[in-house]
Amino acid sequence: MNLIEPANPPSRKAPLVWAIGAAIPWLLLAAGQLVWFALDQRLLWVHTLAAAATALGIVLFVVVVPLWRYRVHRWDIGPNAVYTRTGWLVQERRIAPISRVQTVDTERGPLDQLFGLANVTVTTASSAGAVRIVALDSHVADRVVAQLTDIAALGGEDAT
Amino acid sequence: MTVEAGQAWQRLSPRMLLVHPVHELLRQIPVLIGSLVLGSATGNPMWALFGLALIVGYGLARWFTTSYRIGADEVQLRTGVLQRKVLSVPRNRIRSVSTDARLLHRLLGLTVLRVSTGQEAKGDTAFALDAVQAEQVPRLRAILLADSLAPAEEDANEPGRELARWQPSWLRYSPLSFTGLAMILAAVGLAYQAGVVAALQDSRLARSGLDAAERFGVFASLAVVVVTVLVVSVVLSVLRSLVTYGNLVLLRRDFAGNDGVLHLEHGLLRVREHTFDMRRLRGGTLRSPLLVRLFGGARLDAVMTGVDGAGEASLLLPPCPRATAEAVLSELIARPDAVTGPLRAHGAAATRRRWTRALALPAVLLIAMVVWYSWTPVWLWPIWVVLTVCCALLAVDRSRALGHRVDAEWLVARAGSLDRRRDCIAAAGIIGWTVRQTLLQRRAGVATLIAATAAGVKSYRVIDVPAELAWTIAGSASPWVADSDWARTQ
Repeated sequence: MNLIEPANPPSRKAPLVWAIGAAIPWLLLAAGQLVWFALDQRLLWVHTLAAAATALGIVLFVVVVPLWRYRVHRWDIGPNAVYTRTGWLVQERRIAPISRVQTVDTERGPLDQLFGLANVTVTTASSAGAVRIVALDSHVADRVVAQLTDIAALGGEDAT
Repeated sequence: MTVEAGQAWQRLSPRMLLVHPVHELLRQIPVLIGSLVLGSATGNPMWALFGLALIVGYGLARWFTTSYRIGADEVQLRTGVLQRKVLSVPRNRIRSVSTDARLLHRLLGLTVLRVSTGQEAKGDTAFALDAVQAEQVPRLRAILLADSLAPAEEDANEPGRELARWQPSWLRYSPLSFTGLAMILAAVGLAYQAGVVAALQDSRLARSGLDAAERFGVFASLAVVVVTVLVVSVVLSVLRSLVTYGNLVLLRRDFAGNDGVLHLEHGLLRVREHTFDMRRLRGGTLRSPLLVRLFGGARLDAVMTGVDGAGEASLLLPPCPRATAEAVLSELIARPDAVTGPLRAHGAAATRRRWTRALALPAVLLIAMVVWYSWTPVWLWPIWVVLTVCCALLAVDRSRALGHRVDAEWLVARAGSLDRRRDCIAAAGIIGWTVRQTLLQRRAGVATLIAATAAGVKSYRVIDVPAELAWTIAGSASPWVADSDWARTQ
């Protein structure tokens, strides 16, 4: 037996938001290095090395990782389970039964609000079993939450 | 169910008026020393007396400010001298009741009673009645567990079936633990802090010791020290094990109409009792660390909702003969084949990964030693050989350990060498599956399957199963995976 991949990709804006989120700390670091270079120009090779490391980090985390994550991230909701695929270097596929769902949370960070995105977290009684669907368009997230709470309300068993 | 105690707030045992001040004094030793110093510095002994009075007064106040109430739907505990706090626990959430009596409590006939729920309660949020009279405990236990268990009064007095009883021969596994060594290190640390070492540095004792060491030679004295530490550590480990687990009894009480309870009692000086609700049992873990395994031993942990999976709380049997641990677990989960049956091995890729990992350190060392050949001392080479052999043995043992077994009712996973564990998890308790693959795992065609439960340590891993098997395992244990829209038979 095998499980096919979940069907739905995250929002098209997801890579952009992830890239901006990753760019902020890296650009701060780059700005810090510029200030350092302006104040102290001895040890040129250290500056070069640090600049190269920062450039490499920016290319990796601002360009490669968001695109990679966008290719991997998928989610789907069936009549009795919620199923996601996440990650980039380490990839995870996680499935949880909706009858055992305890809470459904929606969460929007500042960047998410700016671009109209939302993250949905589905928790069960196990701390190892929470399913997170990240970077959905707001209206999709609302629909997902409504759908999940509808199905979850049907099952009345003790969720442990 | 109505409770005779009714809705009234009740105080803890008045004997705590003796215990609290003593405990406070022990806890506030720094304050006491501070006030003594202040007293001698200002030449006014009243400071020391004032400090003492304050601490004793606080201890007494704790009794007057603590009360509990067993209501129809919840139990409440009101505490706090300065900051008042009310802790409420819904009665139908109570999963287990445990008791604990330290030496001072025992002398006064008192017992601490702890209530544990599904939530993870730590420190201040744990519901503990510290302390009630020991003779009240059976009645309180029956009342507190009543909602979840409903045992009739006469059932509560029934002795129950004995699953295991401590035997002196179990002591042979205890010298193999590090508890003795840890106790010695703690004692040395304490001595350092108290300034004993600094005081010894110039004393006649230290000088005569050094003289003796010079006469014997460095290696001889070092050997004497090592042997002494080893002997003391073994003696301490055995003593601790005897004091903690001597007289351990594990009982099972069955009540008409439900699964009954497990009752664990142990401790010679500090008596501890745990009562577990059998309906919350989701399996068990047989753990056999390398040294214990060499002597044919194993310890048993319960996998239960509402009971912390790691450490003392979930312990059912300390290191004991493997057959005993297996027999008890078989009895608890009623499936001997899950406990002792053969496992399906994880194949060549998983074995290769164990070897790569074990030999990584020796390989790096070898490269370093070859590159800096002229700086490498000769004695490093035999050490490297020994290390490599040990790592190879570890790889063999770890790849032999890997295995799983699954059917519609039980998931069994075994892994590890230094700390080998065999987890037996009830399929009904699994509320989520994760298939995790790192880049290297994807290239090797294996995956780590993680079963999420609300019980024990919450996540149980089946390490490095062939990738195409991962969802098959999940599907055989959980019908909701096999019946989902995404399942395809290959």
